[in-house]
Amino acid sequence: MRTKSTVALASAMSASLLLAACGGGGPSAGGGKISDDKIVLAVLNDQSGVYKDVSGPNSVEAVKMAVEDFKAKHGDKAVTTNIEVVTADHQNKPDIANTKAQELYDRQKADIILDVPTSSAALAVANQAKTKKKMYINIGAGTTALTNDNCNKYTFHWAYDAYMLAHGTGKTVTENGGKKWNVVYPDYAFGQDMTKAFSAQVEAAGGSIGQKIPTPFPNDNFATFITKANSDQPDVIGTMHAGGDLINFVKQYNQAGLTGKTKLAVGLMFITDIHSLGADAFQGTQFTDAWYWNMDEQNKAWADKFMAKTKTRPSFAHAANYSAAMNYLETVQEAGTDTADEVVKKLEGKKINDFFLRNGEVRAKDHRVIHDVYLAEVKKKADVAEEWDYEKIVATIPAAEAFKQVDKSTCNMGS
Amino acid sequence: MGSFIQYTLQGLAAGGFYALAALGLAVIFGVMGVVNFSHGAMYMLGAVASAVLLKELGVGFWGAIVLVPILLFLFGVLIERTLVRWLLALDPLYNFLLTFGLTLIIVDLVKKKYGVSGLPYELPAGLDGRLAIGGVSLSKYQLFAAVFSVLMCLLVWLLLTKTRIGMIVRAATEDSERSRALGINVGMWVTPVFGFGIALAGLAGVLASPFRAITADMGTNFIIILFAVVVIGGLGSILGAVMAGFLVGLVEAYGQAYAPAFAQVLIFVLMAAVILIRPSGLFGREEVS
Amino acid sequence: MSDHLVQTTHVETAASASPERRLPPALRWAGLVLALIVVLALPMMIYPPVAMDILAWGLLAISVDLLLGYTGLLSFGHAAFWGASAYATGLIAIKTGLPFPVAVLGGALVAMLLAVPTGWLAVRRTGIYFAMVTLAFGQMLFFLANWARDLTGGENGLQGIPKTFFGSVVETDPFFFYYAALPLLLLGAWIAWRTVHSPFGRVLMAIRDNPARARALGYNVEKYKIMVFVISAGLAGLAGGVFSVSHGFASLQELIWTTSGKAVLITVLGGIGTLWGGPIGAAIVVMLEDKLASSGFEGIGIITGLIFVICVLAFRKGIWGTAADLIARTRTRQEHKRDIS
Repeated sequence: MRTKSTVALASAMSASLLLAACGGGGPSAGGGKISDDKIVLAVLNDQSGVYKDVSGPNSVEAVKMAVEDFKAKHGDKAVTTNIEVVTADHQNKPDIANTKAQELYDRQKADIILDVPTSSAALAVANQAKTKKKMYINIGAGTTALTNDNCNKYTFHWAYDAYMLAHGTGKTVTENGGKKWNVVYPDYAFGQDMTKAFSAQVEAAGGSIGQKIPTPFPNDNFATFITKANSDQPDVIGTMHAGGDLINFVKQYNQAGLTGKTKLAVGLMFITDIHSLGADAFQGTQFTDAWYWNMDEQNKAWADKFMAKTKTRPSFAHAANYSAAMNYLETVQEAGTDTADEVVKKLEGKKINDFFLRNGEVRAKDHRVIHDVYLAEVKKKADVAEEWDYEKIVATIPAAEAFKQVDKSTCNMGS
Repeated sequence: MGSFIQYTLQGLAAGGFYALAALGLAVIFGVMGVVNFSHGAMYMLGAVASAVLLKELGVGFWGAIVLVPILLFLFGVLIERTLVRWLLALDPLYNFLLTFGLTLIIVDLVKKKYGVSGLPYELPAGLDGRLAIGGVSLSKYQLFAAVFSVLMCLLVWLLLTKTRIGMIVRAATEDSERSRALGINVGMWVTPVFGFGIALAGLAGVLASPFRAITADMGTNFIIILFAVVVIGGLGSILGAVMAGFLVGLVEAYGQAYAPAFAQVLIFVLMAAVILIRPSGLFGREEVS
Repeated sequence: MSDHLVQTTHVETAASASPERRLPPALRWAGLVLALIVVLALPMMIYPPVAMDILAWGLLAISVDLLLGYTGLLSFGHAAFWGASAYATGLIAIKTGLPFPVAVLGGALVAMLLAVPTGWLAVRRTGIYFAMVTLAFGQMLFFLANWARDLTGGENGLQGIPKTFFGSVVETDPFFFYYAALPLLLLGAWIAWRTVHSPFGRVLMAIRDNPARARALGYNVEKYKIMVFVISAGLAGLAGGVFSVSHGFASLQELIWTTSGKAVLITVLGGIGTLWGGPIGAAIVVMLEDKLASSGFEGIGIITGLIFVICVLAFRKGIWGTAADLIARTRTRQEHKRDIS
């Protein structure tokens, strides 16, 4: 044991020594067309914790697929065929994300960092992107701070955020007849923000929220709160819980005998949550999804390719990682260089239509990437035709409405 | 009033898990002087095992409630024989640290094997409805869980007080020095007692599986609450563990009902108050220091 | 009373009150100079932000060791002090714009203030109870920080902590920041060293080895324990403050109990009761985590947990403790030889 650690220490030290010899940090100058003669895409995400299934190692696969497809598409005309994908596991720890981001940019010469779930980690990496003047496209995190107070020139937010989720579900469900709401939320930043955003949307659509019930976080006993939330017979109970707490909530909601009586609307839900509990536990539940693999032929075609690689169906995060990587490479191709400032310039204001971004646009002011999003309902077990076939799209929320209006953004990039 | 009864029942149901698991912790500590940090992980393994039994072998809730404690008993015996045993002669801190390391390994192994999104589980047939008693509507399963854990605690109590084995274990728990002097071979009971304690944690896990998320992390927060429970009850005391378990369940439920943001903080405040007034716990005896 | 409820802690600590275990002055000075050279050269050998992490975790481990190795108290809640100072340091730096060393000292002070009531409550229990009580208090602080989002930023963390340092290059380059922050951490290590090598430290070890006798000799055992608990919290606070300034943010990760667990892991791996062991254990754990994070291996806990289990089973003295043992044994053998000849 001791000798093993000493060996590990020694080898780690000598490896670092070698690396150190290759020169320290600092942004690389944009002298050449392609820095270091290669493009390096780094996927920094959670490969061992709660976001492992929804993004994790399979997002790395998705990015690799994008690189292959890019090379196949452009062949000899590609700006470079020397494209590398590197990855690191931040384990949902912001300090590790922060150190790894610096290492990826400085040492592994990453031109772009992708994904980064967990908001504290996402914001830390945004700060590194700003300092190092390198590209960063966030997919996995839901915090709106990335495109508001903590926005910067090199940071883009590709797939979803808390505002979009609240808006989509709150407004659309109310318009479809769910006027009287009670909301149960975890009492921390994400839950509070979601509840605030939900209230605004529900009220704007002519509904009302009777009770707003905070719960501890994390928590696994929701029976008391469910009893409370149902005490004045609302049309809809909204829950802003996520991950394990959401599963707890839904299990206990079903046990309270409310399934089918009171509609359940969920703030943040991933297809992997439905998969883990089974469609019948969630049936009838409505939530906003950034993308669904079985929505149409185009999505299905990509999902089939993904399945051939990974033996599973993609979540929206997998699709978004592919889309972000592909569009980054295409933009580098157009710009003829991977210099961050040039790529940012090309990307700002760009209108994109791919299988993930429908009617997409990269907003220049706050770097929020807007696109059509969907109100989904979980199918009845009987309607589920194959594994992962869980969602029915109830409504499409057009790109222009789905996200926080650009003039409301508090983003100031200062340049 | 109706909702108050409901909160009480919910508190008792939640307290049942704490009581069962804390009972296991107390028995292990009593006989061996080991505070088992991996007790939360064992609770998680109990729940994961019942989900896997259902998915792979089609064994339902009633089968799991019998099988899983047996499986965990065997697992406990294995852990005791291969690891815990070697440190028994040393300061109890070492086994605390050992089981902490074990927790890290078990949790990550489960994550690797079964992912992180949680495993599905169904309510057992016959317990999936609700019961209306005088205007109060109660979940049948919750009622069952509350009653079942009270019964189990009673059963363990009877086992410990009315049988010969129990008396030996209890003597060892309450005063292992004197038991030894009286010629009772305490060492002989160490392995089965460890297994038994782990089996109780596993049983709590089975009970939790129909209405809690079955994930590798489900024991992480649980173990900390459990520590608060045994500090409140007094570690050496079996009765203390059970009573404090239900007490903490009730505090949590009332806290959630009337001061939701602080429900969990309340448990720690209760713990601080107990340390202040009765450092050895509500049912523990005074320490000599 | 069962034997395991008797309150003396018998951890295999290398710290001993007996003078013969101490190395001769020449050797000690040589060791000190060597350690200083290594610390000064570290950011040239490894990536500077990683080097900074190693030293911060090293000082946190030293603060845990001060309690465990020298007083026989296992704190499983040191994340509370590390984290409280991380947030306090950040808030001071953001709100006042003072140079970061001032902010870090302020953060450490906050950690010490927090340690007074928690220490006062926790020292009522010893041994395994002390570990559980500190763990629970640490977790309580986590809940409170998550709830007080206006102050802490909730799950987003407290972002944008500046490295204000007289407008110099320290503010932008982690390599230079390392040297600017180093004195703070060395100060912490020096305080720890002074504490254990003082009459106060002797009393602590006497309490650890036999509290009843220490009490009989007229020492107020509880008061000594609270004092060392507060000192230890201050050191954890220094480390946590440097850590948050170095990263530019403070997050809930700093307060969660697994952070306390990591600190204990580092301490045990390095060697209980050695002080030196802390930084050595930190170097191994931090670099190992750094490598594993890029290795594509899922389940870092399996490796760290395994190290921990093996360490507790077979290497209870840790790396430095074992090394110190070897040195001591060779010396006795040499002296023995000299005596014979």
